[in-house]
Amino acid sequence: MDSKQIHQLLERYWNCETSLEEERALREYFRGQVPENLDEVAGLFRYFESQQQKEISGLDFDGQVKQQIRQHRPKGKLINLAFALRIAAGLLVVMVATYFVRQEMRKSYPAEVADTYSDPQLALEETKKALMMLSKGFNKAEKEAGRLKVFNQAEQKIQGKVLDGETEDQI
Amino acid sequence: MLEDFENRVLPTKNKLFRFAFRLLGSSEEAKDVVQEVLIKVWNGRENLTAIQNIEAWCMRITKNLALDRLRARQRRATNPIEDGAEIRNETLTPHERTEIHEHMQRITEMIAALPEKQRQVIHLRDVEGYSYNEICEILELDMNQVKVNLFRARNAVREKFVKINAYGL
Repeated sequence: MDSKQIHQLLERYWNCETSLEEERALREYFRGQVPENLDEVAGLFRYFESQQQKEISGLDFDGQVKQQIRQHRPKGKLINLAFALRIAAGLLVVMVATYFVRQEMRKSYPAEVADTYSDPQLALEETKKALMMLSKGFNKAEKEAGRLKVFNQAEQKIQGKVLDGETEDQI
Repeated sequence: MLEDFENRVLPTKNKLFRFAFRLLGSSEEAKDVVQEVLIKVWNGRENLTAIQNIEAWCMRITKNLALDRLRARQRRATNPIEDGAEIRNETLTPHERTEIHEHMQRITEMIAALPEKQRQVIHLRDVEGYSYNEICEILELDMNQVKVNLFRARNAVREKFVKINAYGL
């Protein structure tokens, strides 16, 4: 490549118009001897190239990574298992607690709603008796309520008179 | 599975390392990031078959993890100026320190001083030789952003050269 070509290519490089191919060609060119006015630019391309030679340091990096990978795998599963066990234990506690609470409840409130009569006839009589008692109670209450009504009416009468009296006074 | 990992993922380690190093400026941290990336890829190996360009995929994870570290470091940072100095010193390999003139060091500093995105793009293109499409994939940017950042990065370098020549530094 002559210097004119290089300058044109460089101009396109600065404008980001060069292809990867052309950029590789520039790198190739600047590896060799260049005119003094291109020293700085040559330095830039040599710098890029030197940077690409850099490698990860440290003894047996791959080995370390592979070892870490091997350690990592079971650990993930173990965490999942522990997590599942924790949930299972929580559920178990809740279930056992519910069972005991229910048993306690049964003990303190024994079921009373059991059949008390074996003879249907007798049961009917008893039921009638109970219903009669209930209706008696209702009747009594109704009587009392009737008396209340009288009181109410009386009260209203008095109030009405008072009201009438007031209106008369105002007139 | 392990064989597949050894053949397709592990060989990218040096590229991952260089990229992480470009972002973090510390070879120890860059190495940690690469290990983290490789383990992450291994743990997600079931999905690996769905990925077309594994290298670009690994590079993208490297970028994300390195940036996470960078952010964490910035949050912790008491003295950002010292941090920058550390980056510049370490970007030189022993080879460069002994053999190559200050010229090389100047370029190292120039690149290190670029804004983060520009530094990423110029590294991927001019050091590693990735295509624009691959750079888009790695950096999760669109073509326009990639080109703008590369243009700015190259021009920042060019302007420095012009200045150096003008003042004969």
